[in-house]
Amino acid sequence: MRMETMETYPIQIGSVTRRVPLHEPFPGVRIPLVDFLGDVEFVRAVAQELLPKMPEDADLLVTCETSSIPLTHELASARELDYIVARKRRRPYMVDPIIQEVESLTLGAVEVLWLDRRYAEKILNKNVVLVMDVVASGGTMKALEKMVNRAGGRVIARLAGFHQGETDLEISTVAELPQL
Amino acid sequence: MKSYPIEIGGVKRELPVVQVGDGVSVALLNLLGDTELTEAVAAEMARRLPDEIEVLVTPEVKAVPLAHALSRISGLPYIVARKTAKPYMIDPVTREVLSITTGKPQLLVLDGADIVKIKGKKVAIVDDVVSTGSTLKGLRELIESVGGEVAAVLAVFTEGSPRDDVIALGHLPLFKPEEE
Repeated sequence: MRMETMETYPIQIGSVTRRVPLHEPFPGVRIPLVDFLGDVEFVRAVAQELLPKMPEDADLLVTCETSSIPLTHELASARELDYIVARKRRRPYMVDPIIQEVESLTLGAVEVLWLDRRYAEKILNKNVVLVMDVVASGGTMKALEKMVNRAGGRVIARLAGFHQGETDLEISTVAELPQL
Repeated sequence: MKSYPIEIGGVKRELPVVQVGDGVSVALLNLLGDTELTEAVAAEMARRLPDEIEVLVTPEVKAVPLAHALSRISGLPYIVARKTAKPYMIDPVTREVLSITTGKPQLLVLDGADIVKIKGKKVAIVDDVVSTGSTLKGLRELIESVGGEVAAVLAVFTEGSPRDDVIALGHLPLFKPEEE
């Protein structure tokens, strides 16, 4: 077997190629590590592939912090729409926020999404597209959808740059990331 | 609710004035979700960006879309200093700062994989609002500790006391809650 100091996995999106590092979250399980922060060219290439999958009647995009923000910004800009970012911590200026727990199969710290009422009000009666950079089990995306429903919006599409593993959600993605 | 009017590159907004602590309210700028304002700010900042700058560094979270847009316009790479160390990071370097909005200690973390992009380079720090400057001070120390030179600080607004060490597009006053 050939040994390398740093193994990488090639990802090609349109004309953009990246060799991304492999991350080993558990012994024997390696996953390609896609980072949307700091890579404008890559984010724009992914956005170009996702735009045709975005319904024409979308009013608003919803995502959560942090790594999905550049992709959401690109998609929203291209369609001249606004977007809303659910936060992972309470901010001091939040008033009467919607608080949504993320259901997770793994034990550990429970993740909670926070949405200030000022932004929740913008979701009422809107056609919402959920956006994330990478979806694995889909727990975070399901929590976002519950949050949108609680704010009175309709989720009309779920977009993600990449999908990794098993999920029961119907998601439009650009590519599948393997477990190696 | 009281608001404070701003205009950047022809884009006008009414910032809500919200109480963030005992005896102090601030005009709340949120670039997250506002693509039109983010792009206008990035275009104005690009004009003020010194020619010598080689890389942009931004603290997570609210300035991330701005750094993304400024990177696209200027062609310079950008790096996000995260608030937590991630399991996939390689030899991360951290600094603790005291957050003015939460009053709690806050970490700033650079991934070792990003440090090579900062070392020996002229860096511009990009942020949304510089108030007490505690985040700025921590981020500057962090960048210098890994061998980068902070050659400029760019912010949308300074807040409270005006400062001459920041290239800002405007200034926000602080408000007393009873003025709301």
